[in-house]
Amino acid sequence: MNEQLARDLERDIATDPRTNELGIRVQVRGDHLVVSGEVASEERRATVIEVVREHDTGLEIVDHIMLSAEPGPGGPGHEQIEPPQRS
Amino acid sequence: MPDPIRVAAVGDVHLADDLRGRYAPLLEGISEEADALLVAGDLTQHGTLEEAEAFADEFGAADVPVLVVLGNHDYHSGAERDITRLLEDRGMTVLEGTSTTLDTDAGRLGVAGVKGFCLGFLGRSAADFGEPQMKAFTSHGIETADVLRKALDDLGDEPDVTVALSHFAPVDETLVGEPKEIWPFLGNYRLGEAIDETGVDLALHGHAHAGREKGLTPAGVPVRNVAQPVIQAAFRVYDVVPRRSA
Ligand SMILES: [Fe+2]
Ligand SMILES: [Fe+2]
Repeated sequence: MNEQLARDLERDIATDPRTNELGIRVQVRGDHLVVSGEVASEERRATVIEVVREHDTGLEIVDHIMLSAEPGPGGPGHEQIEPPQRS
Repeated sequence: MPDPIRVAAVGDVHLADDLRGRYAPLLEGISEEADALLVAGDLTQHGTLEEAEAFADEFGAADVPVLVVLGNHDYHSGAERDITRLLEDRGMTVLEGTSTTLDTDAGRLGVAGVKGFCLGFLGRSAADFGEPQMKAFTSHGIETADVLRKALDDLGDEPDVTVALSHFAPVDETLVGEPKEIWPFLGNYRLGEAIDETGVDLALHGHAHAGREKGLTPAGVPVRNVAQPVIQAAFRVYDVVPRRSA
């Protein structure tokens, strides 16, 4: 039952046009509904939580969503790729 | 050792208006460290023209040629053709079963690109059997690899460095970290076979946000998952040493 609720919510977050977030996980833990995963901005996090709230689950929503790291300049240096050793 | 061709890459930036301003400042002046910028699909979040405009504005800041493939998100609104046109009007190259070459100071770079599709990996892949829907799913996965092979064949051995660019993963090694149950929806071993048969020096893909950066094809071609959540940077640069003179 809880498992079903969690999967339904994940599906809605993936298919709702406001979110379309495929990387969000939902778990039921006692009276809590834990929402986790990664999104790219604060606004996207808030929208995911809004979509979850629209379902009357009676559970307390716990927001464990992480924000993707803001991109830094070019990562740690360059990686050298040498020609494969083919015969 | 000859000078390398410097290939910058990123994927899965999922742009929309809320992320404007995040990439342009990091891409200005990229010519100092790279010869080209390759983007491995999921340029937008929902595949709308408005989001494609945001992508074009951000990535248009790069002062090197920008070559992209689209991702599944870029198809979501059915506007992939219009997105392609918009990006090409903005001077970018959109590859879909096609290839292109660029001359750099270190030699000629050839890039073949395709979005790719699901299918899975050896022993755990969809089979061309049963219902028409299953056959359609499977044959699309197979077809997309054939299209990549043809684009790579078209390049031949003329480039000094050949890169295969896709959205879906050609191997499963770069999917480690993603739940195994969804691997068949993240990549396609036939893409890897096409890469192994055509003299590719580096394969780049995205789509697997929770995967890892580095892998190899069965024949030993380096594969890099450049999904932005994986590389956690605006781009990664691969200095690819030309094969011919090595
Ligand atoms: Fe993506
Ligand atoms: Fe994707």
